[in-house]
Amino acid sequence: MSTTKSNIIGTDRDYGALVKEDRVHSSIFTDESIFEDEMERIFHKTWLFALHESEVPKKGDFKLLKLGRFPVIAVRDENEEVQLMINRCRHRGAQVCEATQGNAKSFQCWYHGWTYNTKGDLVGVTGEEAYDKAFDAKEHGLTKVARVDNYRGFIFASHSKEGQSLDDYLGPAKKFIDILVDASPTSEIEVKPGVVSKTMYRGNWKQIGMDGYHPHYVHVSVFKIFSKRESTTGSAVGAIHLEDPFSDSSPSLTRGFPNGHAALDFRFQRLPHAKDNMAELQQSEDGRKYVEDMIAHHGKEHAEELIAWHGDPHLGVFPNLQLIHDHIRVVIPVSVSETQVLMYPVFLKGVGQEINNKRLRAHEAFYGPASNGSPDDAEIFERVQRGLEGDADPWILLGRGMNREETDSDGTVSARISDEITQRAQMQEWKRLMAE
Amino acid sequence: MAKQILKAAPDVINKGVVGVEQQLRLERFLTYEAALMDEHEYDRWMDLWIGEDITYWLPCNSDDQDPNAGVAIIYDDRPRLLERMMRLKDKAAHAYRPRARLIRTVTDVVPLAQKGDELEVISNFSLGEIRTGTENIWFGRCHYFLVDTEEGFRIRWKKVLLLNNDEPIPNLTFLV
Ligand code: FES
Ligand SMILES: [Fe+2]
Repeated sequence: MSTTKSNIIGTDRDYGALVKEDRVHSSIFTDESIFEDEMERIFHKTWLFALHESEVPKKGDFKLLKLGRFPVIAVRDENEEVQLMINRCRHRGAQVCEATQGNAKSFQCWYHGWTYNTKGDLVGVTGEEAYDKAFDAKEHGLTKVARVDNYRGFIFASHSKEGQSLDDYLGPAKKFIDILVDASPTSEIEVKPGVVSKTMYRGNWKQIGMDGYHPHYVHVSVFKIFSKRESTTGSAVGAIHLEDPFSDSSPSLTRGFPNGHAALDFRFQRLPHAKDNMAELQQSEDGRKYVEDMIAHHGKEHAEELIAWHGDPHLGVFPNLQLIHDHIRVVIPVSVSETQVLMYPVFLKGVGQEINNKRLRAHEAFYGPASNGSPDDAEIFERVQRGLEGDADPWILLGRGMNREETDSDGTVSARISDEITQRAQMQEWKRLMAE
Repeated sequence: MAKQILKAAPDVINKGVVGVEQQLRLERFLTYEAALMDEHEYDRWMDLWIGEDITYWLPCNSDDQDPNAGVAIIYDDRPRLLERMMRLKDKAAHAYRPRARLIRTVTDVVPLAQKGDELEVISNFSLGEIRTGTENIWFGRCHYFLVDTEEGFRIRWKKVLLLNNDEPIPNLTFLV
């Protein structure tokens, strides 16, 4: 591992000095102690995406997840509320649940047999008579994650009791989340329990972000394949575009939001294709019905926009959620130089099987460890990680397009698709949280 | 394919579905297929597939995952498999360059059933991979429908169950 000896990396680190407006110091990608600080100052403090509510549809359905360093049980309790609780017995700390998902009436710790219900209450203490009267089971329920909130089915959690509301945290990024949810003609999406493509790369978690500058190079082999395909508009909802949206002369934009969120904003680039997309959909029974139901639910004008946008917000919600094409992506930092990426395909509710099948096949084509797309991204992230170890010139440049940024009325900042607004937005939030 | 072996009728184990000669042909064929994959001989490997209606399938999350209900690591028909070949051969497909060095051992070859010229076969493999200084070990089970032709066996359907198909896995930069 790198042992950087630069002066600004001391014990009293000045995180402000590591992130300048147009550049960042590479130690933030390679230094293990900075990673430890990130866990405390970012992952144990700010809002994190936890799960989609459809992953635990019925009472007692649960799923294990990791939020920062904490192992967490997400379970739908007997009142249909989703509880997030630390998976750690209040007696001596064993995990009380080992199955990664399932359905349970209660969670029993198999070290000494303490039992908790789906609300986390301690409902069974073996040999309770040995504890004195002062022992109150009510005080020893599973520890709840400090704050939990939900935006249109996306459940977020924060380990910090205080702080910004989720509503404020998401801010103008909310209407990008809507692009995905409203791709369904009933405004309902489904993430199926246990249906997820799991990958990893040997690189820092901050590398996997929104970047509109790389596709022509990293994904050049895929562009060659697309150019050989017949269709010019891309197939049904959520399919990958065939026209090049990554040209700076296209109406595609990069967009930075408050609080570190960022998007590749393809709305203006895609809108002119609405008619073609609808015509393509209308070639099949399920597609025809989809267009019809979308118009009935969203109105003609908005339905056309939504269909053109493919249900693809291409949004990164800082620090661990990305909504890209047909999937919800969760970024899990394992160590300073190892990251897991979980990709959950999103199923639209209220549509014919064919629509979701097309989405699945399109997803598999570009995402996953043996697909056309993700492996080249992972490969480049690993090349970056190896390169960053040579920190003789430690600054990483993120200033592209600073001279052509525009601030919009909702407080977001946009520039051309290849500009590094997205990285700057992410790093400014990183600095705010780390230096606080 | 431990499950398939355990489910197989006693005759499949005791007597066997094919004779000794055919068993040896089969094992030689699977060893040949493995060698082509180890050496990244994509065109020659592609030549082993027969017919338009082919399936090359690596399920994800569970060995029995329904491809209409869940995501697959690979779920290729012939057109998709041909696109995969384009990328595997492309010098600008970065994940595949430099190429991985590979050795795999194919074992436990058991024919399960024979219908006309089609043979259902299962086998296991262990595979060592070295690429960019990192060593990975992979294990998997294969399930085939092979067609016995005059040129030798050909593959019509192949399903590969990676032992780690429900774990976060690194790039799979070669054929299995
Ligand atoms: S650690 Fe759970 S009962 Fe003792
Ligand atoms: Fe990419």
